[in-house]
Amino acid sequence: MRNTFTLTYILMMVAQMLFTNYFHFTPLCMVTILPVMVLCIPTRINTLWAMVIAFATGLAVDLFVDGALGLNALSLVPVAFLRKSVIEMIFGSEPFEHQENISTRKYGFARVTFAILIVTTLFLAIYITADCAGTRPLWFMASKLGISLIASCLVSALLVNMLSYDDRR
Amino acid sequence: MPKERPLASRILNLAVFILLETAALLMLSNNNALQRLWIARLSHGFMAKTWGTSQAIGNYFHLKRQNDELALENERLKSVLRDYELAAKENDPSLKPVLRGDGFKYIPATIIKSGTSSQHNYLILDKGRDDGVVENSGIITSKGVIGIVDAVSKHYSFAISFLNKELNISARIDTSGAVGPLAWDGIRTDEGVLREIPLQFKYNPGDTIYTSGYSAIFPPDIPLGVAGEAKVINGATNEIRVKLFQDHSALKYVTIIENTRIREIEEIENSDNQNKGEKR
Repeated sequence: MRNTFTLTYILMMVAQMLFTNYFHFTPLCMVTILPVMVLCIPTRINTLWAMVIAFATGLAVDLFVDGALGLNALSLVPVAFLRKSVIEMIFGSEPFEHQENISTRKYGFARVTFAILIVTTLFLAIYITADCAGTRPLWFMASKLGISLIASCLVSALLVNMLSYDDRR
Repeated sequence: MPKERPLASRILNLAVFILLETAALLMLSNNNALQRLWIARLSHGFMAKTWGTSQAIGNYFHLKRQNDELALENERLKSVLRDYELAAKENDPSLKPVLRGDGFKYIPATIIKSGTSSQHNYLILDKGRDDGVVENSGIITSKGVIGIVDAVSKHYSFAISFLNKELNISARIDTSGAVGPLAWDGIRTDEGVLREIPLQFKYNPGDTIYTSGYSAIFPPDIPLGVAGEAKVINGATNEIRVKLFQDHSALKYVTIIENTRIREIEEIENSDNQNKGEKR
């Protein structure tokens, strides 16, 4: 079970690298599934390890994509740091008490999408702010955040069940 | 993996979070010129704000000491000014026979306790017998009379506040020269009542009220306030409301004023009374 998740996680990471390297539609849009990957890290893994995994994931993506080194790591660690709070806020303490993972079958599409929306917003806000580094106007950053948020949430919502191994058992 | 303990794990999580974010920021800064400039600008802004705030907090806590120093310096300068004024007057031949120093000793002091809530308020000052304070000394500021020292210990003085219904100050209206007792109205901390002003003395609202100098406690011409509305009492005298310059609710630094010639004045009064007694 753990190996299945790990494998899926690594495959998604590779997919993210390929997507970032080869699919550039517009500077106003970036698609990321990294936040949902961190959100779906099994609940038996505590926050500290989730942050380490998120940092390693971000760093790996940074190393293999054509971008600023440290940018994905910088944006992904806060997602892992707040992951427990977000899950408890939206799904209650049940996922951690029963060591269950986030799945649309159990918690419903709306709640899972809402959780994805929160973590993706957090990730994109940090990413876009650090990436623009004060050189872009606010309207550009806001537009990029809005467009990227919609695109990323749609893709993440489609992929979230792939990471929820309970659903596939 | 071990189950998370609430406080310890939160602190550990926060520490690891800060560590990882710092590592990510360092990588970002070292490998990208644009981000390096941005991070430097942000950190400089943060440092400037932190430094400015800590400096402001430090300054705030030094204010008391600075205020004390300023009060002392102010009193020293006032004393020098008084000496110069006296020297100037003494050079005037017409004033020479009557002026030989103003006869008052000034001691700066800080109010360490005061009340404004009752009808018989008092003050405690941080100067006592060791500092040269004696009973029946006046207490003033540049804006008016504050009270009279009633009792003195080694290091402290107990004073009757002007905000005490029993205290009357001899006061004079600037324009007419009419003199009467000024007392607290018992209601507001910045208002008093000037009583027993004969009806023949005219005054205008807005006239300045000064100490008369008729008491042996306060020197003349200390500004006290401005005259306001008046009402006739028993068809014989005016009672004038006075808006005081000094708001007694916001008071910290004062000057204790001692008439060094009060004994001489009292002796002359006593001998005069004895003479009258003998004549009878």
